Amino acid sequence: MIKGTCWVADDYVMAYDIIIQEYWTSAIDATENSKWVMAGVKEEFNKENAFKDQGHTFIVAAHNFAGGGKSIEHVITGLMGAGIQAVFATSFARLQFRNAINYGLPFVTCDSISEGCDTGDELEYDPESGLIRNLTKETEFQSVPAAPFVAEVGEAGGLMNYIREKIAQGEAIE
Amino acid sequence: MGMTITEKIMARNSGREKVVPGQLVWTDVHTVMTMDYLGKTCFDKFRSLGKTEVFDKNRVICVSDHLVPPPNQKFATMLNEWREVVKQHDITNFYDLGRQGIAHQIMVEQGHVLPGKISIGTDSHANTYGAVGAMGNAIGVTDAAVAMATGKAWFRIPQSVKFNITGTWQPWVMAKDLSLHIMGMMHWNGHLLYKALEFTGPAIKSLSMAGRMTLCNMTVDLGAKNGIVAPDVITERYLRNRTSDPWEMLASDEDAVYDQVYDIDISDLGPTIALPGKLDDTVPIDKLIGTKFNKAFVGTCTNGRLEDFAAMAEIMKGKQVHSDVNMILVPASQTVYLEALRAGYIETLVEAGAAVDTPSCAACAGIHTGVAGDGDIVLSAGNRNMTGRMGSRKAEIYLTSPSVVAASSIRGEITDPRTFDI
Repeated sequence: MIKGTCWVADDYVMAYDIIIQEYWTSAIDATENSKWVMAGVKEEFNKENAFKDQGHTFIVAAHNFAGGGKSIEHVITGLMGAGIQAVFATSFARLQFRNAINYGLPFVTCDSISEGCDTGDELEYDPESGLIRNLTKETEFQSVPAAPFVAEVGEAGGLMNYIREKIAQGEAIE
Repeated sequence: MGMTITEKIMARNSGREKVVPGQLVWTDVHTVMTMDYLGKTCFDKFRSLGKTEVFDKNRVICVSDHLVPPPNQKFATMLNEWREVVKQHDITNFYDLGRQGIAHQIMVEQGHVLPGKISIGTDSHANTYGAVGAMGNAIGVTDAAVAMATGKAWFRIPQSVKFNITGTWQPWVMAKDLSLHIMGMMHWNGHLLYKALEFTGPAIKSLSMAGRMTLCNMTVDLGAKNGIVAPDVITERYLRNRTSDPWEMLASDEDAVYDQVYDIDISDLGPTIALPGKLDDTVPIDKLIGTKFNKAFVGTCTNGRLEDFAAMAEIMKGKQVHSDVNMILVPASQTVYLEALRAGYIETLVEAGAAVDTPSCAACAGIHTGVAGDGDIVLSAGNRNMTGRMGSRKAEIYLTSPSVVAASSIRGEITDPRTFDI
């Protein structure tokens, strides 16, 4: 069970705005990337640690979260470094959906949630059942639970750990 | 029930008779591509998996494209580290400055992607590889590291969507116009997310390899997993002298299942332009005739190929770029550059007052040659027009085809090449 407050995003939050261009060529590092995460989404976040200092645990978004076709993993490490433990959205852009799976950060598809939360609401998320409860508003939302492979990668702490273990054990990857 | 070409490729390369959409599989990967600014991280991650040798040193393709030639000390140092790590891993196919090009152009023109195979790359426009009938997919550095170690990648089998393109192309209308038209029709966050897009029909059969590359290239910007054109005689002719590896000519079954089928008659399709800010905010050129701009840019993995230079040279021959316009042209690879030189296109374009730069991603990602500053209005044949994409967040980018950029640069305002006096 994960519990914490949420930040509510608009439609079309793009990967470009989560990590703005001047940081694309920086190292992929949670601490480093989280300093400027969301800098392009809102002017108020374009200050060092501005988003991170809000201290949110979840992001709630509508369509095509992290879209715009950028495959850089800084987007995911930036969000994780800022303390984000799950993102709930109507839909996700596939490149970052894939990266999120590979890092074990739950990108959770949930149709109705974007209209049912305000920034600062306290939420509770059960990864096993996929149930998201808005404790502030006393409402709940059923999300799509993670596929078995995705859950397995998540439990391993990401694809790198998952594969490292398989290589070490001499197990086939299939 | 039959399979689509994408399903067949994924079945073949995962050792299965059949796959169905939604299924999760590990597939063999024919080639893995990475580039200068992310490549060192790939190799570092790869070694952290406990491996020292890549799965096949001929099939990890390394390209310098975003940072070359280095415009500043930071990039120069990054490139030095990159060269060292590539050397250390004894990589056979390293396209460094002097042999460089934009990675996706290199992958296709050097025969590193083949019909019926799966190739992945750490840049979003790896979807380009579908032009030769490969499954081309963009991935992050984690997937690249895993593939370098194991020769494998995980995929969820996508649902397929068919675009059946009929009719005859109007003069000066290019594959880019069709890409932008589809973008406007289907929208960015529409239901093409995660889908495999298959382009077929008479107007695709007659489309050049360069056009097919443009079309598949921009499928990533539709949110799709991949874009693909089934291999045919144009593919075979293109690949014949580029590789000695065997390939497989796959096609979708008659009874393959599609999530959606769209029919588009291109006979009425004119030049199409995306307005600054959003890719799917597209309009026919008539709505923008006379719009002023001050920078023109043609290059990138979307439109930096020989036929793009040929079209521009034909339009601009004997004319002069308008005094209010800076025009920058960047061939997609050294090979394209050389061919355009030999054909006389570069000479024509330089005489017309265009600046030609050495092959790289240039200003497309806003980190290299020709970036946009505050107040710039750019007419670009690149692939993205979001705020800040080419540099300043106070610049505007209109996206269009090379023929529109060429005609418009002469007049200093957006001009329809179909009515331009050539």
